[in-house]
Amino acid sequence: MDSTGKSFFFRGSSLTMGESICAAALIPIVAAMDFLFLAAINCFGYRPRPRPKKCLSGFADMTRLADESRFTVNDIEALYELFKKLSSSIIDDGLIHKEELQLALFQAPKGSNLFLDRVFDLFDEKKNGVIEFEEFIHALNVFHPYAPLEDKIDFAFRLYDLRQTGFIEREEVKQMVIAILMESELNLSDDLLEEIIDKTFADADADKDGRINKEEWKTFVLHNPNLLKNMTLPHLKCITTLFPSFVFNTGVKDL
Amino acid sequence: MTIVEILENEWFKKGYKPPRFEQADATLGDPGSVYNESWDSQNLVVEWKEERPAPPIITMNAFELILASQPQGLDLGCLFEKQTLQGFVKRETRFTSKCPATEIISKIERAAKPLGFDVKKSNNKMKLLGEKADRKGHLAFTAEIFQVAPSVCMVELRKSGGDTLEFHKFYNRLSARLKDIVWTEGHEVEETNGPVPSGR
Repeated sequence: MDSTGKSFFFRGSSLTMGESICAAALIPIVAAMDFLFLAAINCFGYRPRPRPKKCLSGFADMTRLADESRFTVNDIEALYELFKKLSSSIIDDGLIHKEELQLALFQAPKGSNLFLDRVFDLFDEKKNGVIEFEEFIHALNVFHPYAPLEDKIDFAFRLYDLRQTGFIEREEVKQMVIAILMESELNLSDDLLEEIIDKTFADADADKDGRINKEEWKTFVLHNPNLLKNMTLPHLKCITTLFPSFVFNTGVKDL
Repeated sequence: MTIVEILENEWFKKGYKPPRFEQADATLGDPGSVYNESWDSQNLVVEWKEERPAPPIITMNAFELILASQPQGLDLGCLFEKQTLQGFVKRETRFTSKCPATEIISKIERAAKPLGFDVKKSNNKMKLLGEKADRKGHLAFTAEIFQVAPSVCMVELRKSGGDTLEFHKFYNRLSARLKDIVWTEGHEVEETNGPVPSGR
């Protein structure tokens, strides 16, 4: 009688004991986490490590960029690691200059390249001759596997519209093909070159005006989706694994 | 019931087809190809399809040619790749040929086998796997043949595994054997049985 009574009582109270243990433990834990979180945010502003002159003001910017794109905050942080590396390769000012982009893409800072100019121009939204981190993110966002097709189609069109006339002209296509043939030391006779371009325009130039407009490009690309294959970088889905050093610099960290 | 017993049970066997596991094509150089499963192009064969007749080869259009040549400016993926070597060591190389695709394929196979490579073919793609492994694993690369025009093919050899310098060494030895199919400036390719002027 006694033992069962006791055990019953014990069982009864163990429930409440468990609850009270939880209550006793959780509340301080939550409070502690809250404190740590707020401290971390405040701490972020006082990080002692050297920061480039034009830099983000911190966690809030990273979150905003993440919200405006297909990237998570951790992705943005990892991309910031990449951006820092690229933007300090020649001139350490927290901005990517054309030579630095060239170095990154071609491993050589000198020499001109048709596509480099277009790519740089498309990244440089403000057209001030440098790529800022925000512009970097906006452009890379288009290459994300989950970015809308419309954006990729548009980016590719502006890429190939060398003279930015709003049309991809025959001369521009010829110029691009000649450039890639020279770069890859491939051989094609002039006749063959013309034949290939003729075929391209026969397929793409619906109104036969000798140039491809936005709408024609869109139709063409939707029929030939492999033409957009360079507009998607699968790396962007696993960017945090490519730049693990961000883990040590992440804004959300313990004190 | 053990798994073995389940597998042998009549109930289980009804309508059951044992799964066939295909090796993940992770060694093929192009990471984008994994995401291209639904993109079927009449010109470029991206998927492995066994025992299917080769798709009809039609002349490429200019943009396909541009992309197939993978000009450095258009490939932003290299921003994310480790650049361990000073200077630029390309991971792929290409040449044009006036020979038909089938001939190119058999020539490459004949040239690569004695160099110690195991060759697998599918449509216009070949996978070559080196037999000996070094510190960086087996040297592996893919050869892809694009029909640029009715009489001209572009052959691209892309490293998909192993050391890049080894790849270049191998390519030099291979190209010495492929001299008669490579189309070089001012060099008309003769019939394979005829005398062949030395090319590049």
